Amino acid sequence: MRRGSVLLLTLVLVGAASGPAAAYLKLGSRVDTRTLTLKWNAMPIRYFVTDRGVAGVSSQQLQDTVARAFATWDAVPTAKTSSQFAGFTAAAPRGGDRATVIGFQNRPELDRTLGATSFIIDTVTGDIVESDIFFNSFFSWSVAAQGDVAGFDLETIALHEIGHLHGLAHSALGETELRAGGRRVIAAESVMFPIAFSAGSIAFRTLRPDDVAGISDLYPESGFSRQTGSVSGKVTKNGSGVIGAHVVAFNPRTGHMVGGFSLSADGAFVIAGLEPGPQVLRVEPLDDADIESFFDLTLGVDVAFQARFYEKLVVVPRGGGTSRIEIKVVPKG
Amino acid sequence: MTKSAPRAPRFPVLWVVSLIVVTLLAAWPADARAQVWMGADPPRKGSVQISAGVISFGGFDMGVRNAEETRNINTGTGPFALFASHSRIAATPGGQFRVGVYLSPQLSLETSVQYGRPTLSSSLTSDAEQAPSLTASDTIGRYVVDGSLLFHLTRLAFSRSRAVPFLAGGAGYLRELHESNEFVATGHEYHAGGGLNVWFGQGRHRIGLRADVGASIRQGGADFRSGRRTVPAAGASLAYLF
Repeated sequence: MRRGSVLLLTLVLVGAASGPAAAYLKLGSRVDTRTLTLKWNAMPIRYFVTDRGVAGVSSQQLQDTVARAFATWDAVPTAKTSSQFAGFTAAAPRGGDRATVIGFQNRPELDRTLGATSFIIDTVTGDIVESDIFFNSFFSWSVAAQGDVAGFDLETIALHEIGHLHGLAHSALGETELRAGGRRVIAAESVMFPIAFSAGSIAFRTLRPDDVAGISDLYPESGFSRQTGSVSGKVTKNGSGVIGAHVVAFNPRTGHMVGGFSLSADGAFVIAGLEPGPQVLRVEPLDDADIESFFDLTLGVDVAFQARFYEKLVVVPRGGGTSRIEIKVVPKG
Repeated sequence: MTKSAPRAPRFPVLWVVSLIVVTLLAAWPADARAQVWMGADPPRKGSVQISAGVISFGGFDMGVRNAEETRNINTGTGPFALFASHSRIAATPGGQFRVGVYLSPQLSLETSVQYGRPTLSSSLTSDAEQAPSLTASDTIGRYVVDGSLLFHLTRLAFSRSRAVPFLAGGAGYLRELHESNEFVATGHEYHAGGGLNVWFGQGRHRIGLRADVGASIRQGGADFRSGRRTVPAAGASLAYLF
């Protein structure tokens, strides 16, 4: 097998119009017939910050904000990640230089993209070799402590993009509505939801349980797998597996929600990193989002079914898993 | 939901102790002439009573918890409720086994094991995407191991002294296993109540019937809330004294 690297494009966070809601998903890449999980194989992640600011955000403020966002991910007690600022650079956040660069770029052609993350990976191991993040200076940005309706909160968007940089894909834990020109997000419960809140919102400077479960599943601290549990099963419709169903585990004791997707032809899903104890399972289609925000369109995602609850409380054991769950959905009427 | 050992709540302990003290003061014979015990052969120091029977535990409500998402600005106020869940544990019958030893005709110490299989259910309603409402449930295996101090109100005995009321109070350990037996929730309880022993015959060996009612103040176990809850209980047993 040839060892090499491949540039993967790009996970974007869209602004005022576009996307959906669901739970955590790890980034994967199909190389030949294999699917590789993207992750860093060594810590700390060393990153450079571009030495150019934009109106209202100096390069130093950019660096401070990026450092806070990294620190938020690094502070997850059940995950083992760390980061290190390597210095300012004049290089643009483009792939190919083996340096992880974060900075502004003016991309007016991407008029719904606030930011994006790209990767270069080892095609044998899935290890991330380089990852770059740009924030689109086509938009106005804010680093105001309490937010500013005149600009999108840079720390919020940086937190989302750095989630991608670690290897997390989008979460579908959120709700949107269709409006003229696209979708507007009504609510979300994950930093990794693909559509940003309105300018001025700072609600997602903090991680949610879905984000914590995702990063901990990717980079587990010792003891994480013993302290948490998982739920696995399948989603079926008329006896056949459903691909791309969004399954949410809700803890009725804490109110925490963690999601996952059915990713194979038999409708199999796994949600790991759950608090032990009873959980409610709810399944819904990815019907209020752009499917390509989550999956390759060739996957054949089924959105033609009704949301429903699983009829039993699912008890998650500490350090183990609950399986043999089948959630039968019905076609939309 | 396994709870770490919490600080022993002071109120239930004091309450149980106070109940016992007041009972002792009220019921202890003032002097020999006031003794109204008529039985020829009351349980004596060292007598052992075993009993086995059924018990009914009351259910309790665990409240409403919404599945909430953070709302975008300018789209309304307060969290966005994806759906609502209302959870409770249903009342359930179970079994009990008790062993007690009399320290005197009026006083006995007892330990018991109780077992029941209540249903934990969450009623899921008001889904934002019209998922049909339903009640999701799980069955719990509940064990209670406790110790009690019983005061037998011999002065209030009736039916030719065959029926002897008693008061009881004590504390116990709660262990609740979910259906798969892979998740254990533990807690503790304090209880107080009363009942009646009805003996057939007056010999040293005799059988009888026993009825209990009371309340158990519990913390921990299969409860989504962190506070204490009061669970009523009532039971009936076949008893043997020797």
